[in-house]
Amino acid sequence: MKPTPLWPWLRGTCAMARVGVAATLSARTVLLGRALFYLLVMTVLTRFWTTVAHETSAAGITLPAGILAYVAITEWIALSVPAIHLRLEDDIRFGAVEAHLLRPIPYLLGQIGQTIGAMLVRLALLSPGLGVVLLTGESMLPPITAWLSIIALAVLGGTVHILLIALAGLSAFWVRRTVAAYLVMQKAIFLLGGLFIPVTFYPDWLARFARGSPFAASLYWPAIVVLQPDQSTVVMAFLAVFAWIVALSLLCAAIWHAGLHRLLTQGI
Amino acid sequence: MSAITVRDLRKQFRYAKSGRGLRNLIAPQYTNIDALGGISFTIAPGERVALIGPNGAGKSTTLKILTGILLPSGGNATVLGLTPWQDRMALARRIGVVFGQRPQLWSELPVRQSFALLRRIYAQDAAPFATRLDALSERFDLAPLMAQPVNRLSLGQRMRCEVVASLLHKPDVLFLDEPTIGLDITAKTTIRDLINAQAQSDGLTVVLTSHDTRDIELVCERVIVVNAGRIVVDQATETLRRRFLARKLVTLRSAAPAITLDLPGVSARPAEPHIAMLDVDTRIARIDSVVAAALSLGGIEDITIEDPPMEEVIHEIYAAASAR
Repeated sequence: MKPTPLWPWLRGTCAMARVGVAATLSARTVLLGRALFYLLVMTVLTRFWTTVAHETSAAGITLPAGILAYVAITEWIALSVPAIHLRLEDDIRFGAVEAHLLRPIPYLLGQIGQTIGAMLVRLALLSPGLGVVLLTGESMLPPITAWLSIIALAVLGGTVHILLIALAGLSAFWVRRTVAAYLVMQKAIFLLGGLFIPVTFYPDWLARFARGSPFAASLYWPAIVVLQPDQSTVVMAFLAVFAWIVALSLLCAAIWHAGLHRLLTQGI
Repeated sequence: MSAITVRDLRKQFRYAKSGRGLRNLIAPQYTNIDALGGISFTIAPGERVALIGPNGAGKSTTLKILTGILLPSGGNATVLGLTPWQDRMALARRIGVVFGQRPQLWSELPVRQSFALLRRIYAQDAAPFATRLDALSERFDLAPLMAQPVNRLSLGQRMRCEVVASLLHKPDVLFLDEPTIGLDITAKTTIRDLINAQAQSDGLTVVLTSHDTRDIELVCERVIVVNAGRIVVDQATETLRRRFLARKLVTLRSAAPAITLDLPGVSARPAEPHIAMLDVDTRIARIDSVVAAALSLGGIEDITIEDPPMEEVIHEIYAAASAR
């Protein structure tokens, strides 16, 4: 087996991440719209939870302050993840992937790098909105010491989210239109990832299943650290996201190779 | 050592036949299409070769196999000593590829930024890269375009940028798939001149596919004609013209509104008043005899003698290949 040129690939992937950063920054109107949408979503959810939350706590979480802090983080991550599946679908369906195959870095690694670059820009630009929600709303403010972990987990959780959507995009080798696979993945992320409420509110059996799934690694685990910034939860969160990044990366690589073989054998 | 070696290259595509019913869904029937039926050729370093043929002949299939983005069904090929489909990424560092119909630059980014990213992707050192970029930018007149997003450029401007992008990492071989498609005459001429000049200064090996015979005439010194997956002709451009067409085109301009020249081996093409265009079969009629006969009519103001357009040469080759 030939040794892989890791360092050039890493440099190339970082270069693609810069593409993502530059391309995202060039669409200022879209970024502004996304920031305003985030504030709108949080305004609605704040109103919802302050209205319906008659209890002061549930499942160990203070209401509505804890829930709002949690949702502020999950929405921050979810709205920061670009639609990599659309780019994969377009490139595979219309043959643009061929041009990318002629570059000396792996296509999928480059696309994920580019998407992570775009995600970092969005996370940064939505963070003022996150600050506004946490400081001025009804939500609780996480302790300062937890913030480094929260930010790192948001980036890693967003990466898990990207890999999950990339799986939907790679289905384009076989089904051409990825919208169905994407919608299934999106709903699984929202539901089993605990977008609107922590999975701790679910029935025990579902909560256990969700916590062990990759969907929770994208949203639940980064956000729960806001409510439970103790060391064991932080360690568990990092372990969960790292494990799923590795597992999903291997799965994406395997599906990509199967699709690539089909492409190289049969052409576009 | 040759730059490109192809030995008995074959490619067969397999498609599921469309059909109705559950039976077709469970056990679809397949049909095989032979895109390449065993082609062989060698290209020396620095050679500029046109790979031409009618639609579906196998040109793009050959190009894709040589660049490593398609697996052959049989035979072998090497480009710069590497097997393209096995060493695709290593080969990518040493070849440049331009697809006329598929953009490779990032459409939303300014041209300069796209080039800067290519430097990192190809792991080029900053100083020599900057020098090369300046030289190419000057030759291809890209200075006014550098700050513009690629998606704001005209097609001709974009193609100039695409060609420069393919040359920035100093490739040894340049593959061009229909590089002038969709361009106006001025833009085509510009691209051809620039490719020629760059190929000569860098000693580039060039492989070009095109339906435009002027691309072949003005850029390439050798032509490989592919038809139905097989090579029908592989010759120098000039030899091809002389071998396949024992004809000359004689254009006469006269004071008289019409010229009639009735000679064996000479036929008149439709032309405007005061202009006569004569097709001369040089196997039957000698050119000096035809010119002498025209001059004897009197009133001839201008005579032009030229080879027939390459388009007619190619047309004749296709016709001969189809008749076999």
